[in-house]
Amino acid sequence: MNKENMLEVVNKAVSLSKADQVEALLVGGESYLTGFANNYIHRNVGEETYDLSIRVVIGKKVASASTTDLSYESIKSCVDTAETLCKFQKDNEEFVSLPKEDGGEKYFEEVYELPDAETRAEIVKKIVNASKKHGLISSGKFEVERSQIAIKNSLGIERYEERTVATLKNIAMGDTSSGFSQESAMSFKDINVDKVIEESLDTALKGRSPSSIEPSKYEVILSPYAVTEFLSSMKYLSLTEKNIEEGTSFMKGHFGEKMFNDMITFYDDGLDNNTIKMAFDFEGMKKKRVYFVKNGVIENVVNDSFYAYKLGKEPTGHSLPQPSELGAYPMNFIFEKGKSKLEDMISNVEKGLFVQRFWYTNPMDPVNLVITGMTRDGLFLIENGKITRPIKHLRFTESIITALKNCLEISDNFKIIYEGGAVTTVPYMRIKDFNFSSATEF
Amino acid sequence: MDEVIERALITAKKLGATYADVRLIKKSVEDLTLTNREVKVATTRRSRGFGVRVIVDGAWGFFSSVNTTGEEGERVAKIAVEIAKASSKTKIEDAKLKDIEIYQDRVSQPVKIDPFSIPMNKKIAFMLDLDKLMEKEGIIVRNSSMHFSKEWKTFASLEGAYIEMERIVSGAGIQVIATDGREIQVRSYPNSFGGDYARKGYEFIEEMKLAENAERIRDEALQLLKTRPCPTGKMDLIIGPYQMALQLHESVGHPTELDRVLGEEASFAGTSFLTPEKLNNFQFGSKYVNIVADATDPYALGGFPYDDEGVKAKKIYLVKEGIFVGYLNSRETSYKLGLEPMGAMRADSFNRIPIIRMTSINLEPGNSTLEELISGVDNGLLIDVNKSWSIDQKRLNFQFGTEIGYEIKNGKIQDMVKNPTYSGITYEFWRSLDGVGNESYYHILGIPNCGKGEPMQVMEVSHGSSYARFRNVNVGVKHE
Repeated sequence: MNKENMLEVVNKAVSLSKADQVEALLVGGESYLTGFANNYIHRNVGEETYDLSIRVVIGKKVASASTTDLSYESIKSCVDTAETLCKFQKDNEEFVSLPKEDGGEKYFEEVYELPDAETRAEIVKKIVNASKKHGLISSGKFEVERSQIAIKNSLGIERYEERTVATLKNIAMGDTSSGFSQESAMSFKDINVDKVIEESLDTALKGRSPSSIEPSKYEVILSPYAVTEFLSSMKYLSLTEKNIEEGTSFMKGHFGEKMFNDMITFYDDGLDNNTIKMAFDFEGMKKKRVYFVKNGVIENVVNDSFYAYKLGKEPTGHSLPQPSELGAYPMNFIFEKGKSKLEDMISNVEKGLFVQRFWYTNPMDPVNLVITGMTRDGLFLIENGKITRPIKHLRFTESIITALKNCLEISDNFKIIYEGGAVTTVPYMRIKDFNFSSATEF
Repeated sequence: MDEVIERALITAKKLGATYADVRLIKKSVEDLTLTNREVKVATTRRSRGFGVRVIVDGAWGFFSSVNTTGEEGERVAKIAVEIAKASSKTKIEDAKLKDIEIYQDRVSQPVKIDPFSIPMNKKIAFMLDLDKLMEKEGIIVRNSSMHFSKEWKTFASLEGAYIEMERIVSGAGIQVIATDGREIQVRSYPNSFGGDYARKGYEFIEEMKLAENAERIRDEALQLLKTRPCPTGKMDLIIGPYQMALQLHESVGHPTELDRVLGEEASFAGTSFLTPEKLNNFQFGSKYVNIVADATDPYALGGFPYDDEGVKAKKIYLVKEGIFVGYLNSRETSYKLGLEPMGAMRADSFNRIPIIRMTSINLEPGNSTLEELISGVDNGLLIDVNKSWSIDQKRLNFQFGTEIGYEIKNGKIQDMVKNPTYSGITYEFWRSLDGVGNESYYHILGIPNCGKGEPMQVMEVSHGSSYARFRNVNVGVKHE
């Protein structure tokens, strides 16, 4: 479907409803994933899918329905279903209105050529050949997508967005080690394949024959992959108005308070040059830059229109497709980079660990953001400012708040990491007294 | 035969496919969520689409679409073939499938009450009643949710399989969050993360006794705020059926998926410590551990008549009297290891390729009463309902937390404790099991949200268990 087709569908849907307010959201596009394991392509898939959601409001009642069938009859039936559900509903006293026009850009399009199946296979072949040369096994994915969003509501919002994203990931595995690398860009041609190969293979080769170490508190240098995974729970537990209301956010009651040192600044901005851009949210609201923490001070949280209007605020442009259990989400999270060179950060560690990646993190205590998880795909001992030897993997149990308070240095570069539509841009971090609670066998 | 299926299969064959299958799926879903007396989610979703999976030149390709015309069937098959041809560029050996019995069948799912026949206002009225029961000072969030789905799937292959299957699912749950301004405590019923799910109609909601348990979880959440934290150290654990579901899921279900074992999930979920040389040759647990993968239960969420390769549902042992004896497999992975296909290939939607998924992974009940299990503990805990979970990528080192726990001293239940956690190495933990509760406590819990694969697929699975007793477990974790 093209822009005109997409907008025609949402306009048609809105025109068919007799509800007090109506919103039509059409999300779709094409995506292809060339998955590889054991040095060959084992899962090569693609799809072209569109999903139309209708949200209707009658008085204070709100309901929605969706369909993948975009024929006139199906759209009409979807609108009728939403209206019927709405009539059965109970009033939502807290609901104020669907979003109103905010003067944002109507259309955002940044689209690059998608590689065909042959081109994707050639790039994978380059990776697996490099792995084979070093006696390693590669597993990963080369995923490309062209995503489209069209939104129309009866209060005047009309938006269309189309963008492309490509992600290349490789895990190189030997008998006793593994190494990880991942890169994303809006154009697949901007992905540095050689760099992905070099980082993953280098980590795997240096990680061979790891030794055990006692789980304890260590100074750590976390790579951007590790920082992304470590902070992931914070994004849905702490950074939205819903989190404040439900009491899971550590920020509640601390706005304006200086909690961390000056170098800690993180925010969300869909139009920052260091993210994969998104101009508006799934309600069509302009994405605003929202500082969560600025120079160590607790600043703000993001919202969707429901919470914004309920609290008498302006929408920040962070709604997920509604209805959503989460409501809002920081889709373009950015941790501001620091001033340190990675080499200098390592040389400043007397005894500590370099963590390439964390895995399977989950919160144990939401309010204090105590997280547990494992290291994966590269853990190394640092002694007297140098990486000396690989270490068998450890489990950490640590509070994000404590870790941010214990942050000693932040690198002057960062990495853009894209997963499932959300973008995280983060640097390397040096953190003291990071708690590792147990060990595993490999 | 539906035109889209016929034209897709004919096109795939014409273009060189040595194997092809098509899944055409029509699905309706209804979700309701009520929070603090407000309806937050009231939605229905309807989808219809098909996916074509092919082997060409010995390699796999897959493509899908929401347009279900005959013409689109040809187009989608053609793209799937092109993708497969590209896959063959890195081929090491041809993809081969183990032979299976080929079925033509039509299986409907009888339910007592069609969940879509109950009007939404009646469902909301019931949830409002539950909400009222959970209301009390100190309770900051009251949640109730319901989920219903009805799916009609047609599976057809070039081998001649033609299977039509109906699947109806109902699920519901309630949850409260209590706070004293310093911390929060959560209690859920019947389970966290959405409650319980089964392949039943609306009668399942009526059987769940949600109203009978609403005030109990409310009061327990408030009480947890005042209780002392879980002790730390080595002690015995009695784990309830709901936390056992999580334990089975993470430390038995995932590591026995043969695609993981063979490295096919290494890019995302990881691999497994249960490598092929351990099959029939590894002491996974104590002699009391008997674990099955059972897709034949008529109501279990992890059950089905046929998997997405047309393999008829089976019940097999994964662990028998403590020995690791079985894998969850596919036709391709079973061919590689010379095993019998047991029917675990499923996709969560028409637009996803089938991968190996858990069915219903159940710890068979033992003979003990709960009182007998408790009476054998000098120093320990009784815990249940999962709150947090994490496990390494080979499924060895795990650390789990539950919503609630009770201390056990000298064979008797003592005070409630909050934030219980425990950790271990999978096989050491299962080897420490020395008692399983009898059938009267046995429950198969439906888990609607098992994530796996790239692209991510969220699958409905289930786990049956009674109470189980483990000796000398690491309890509590220090992090300050």
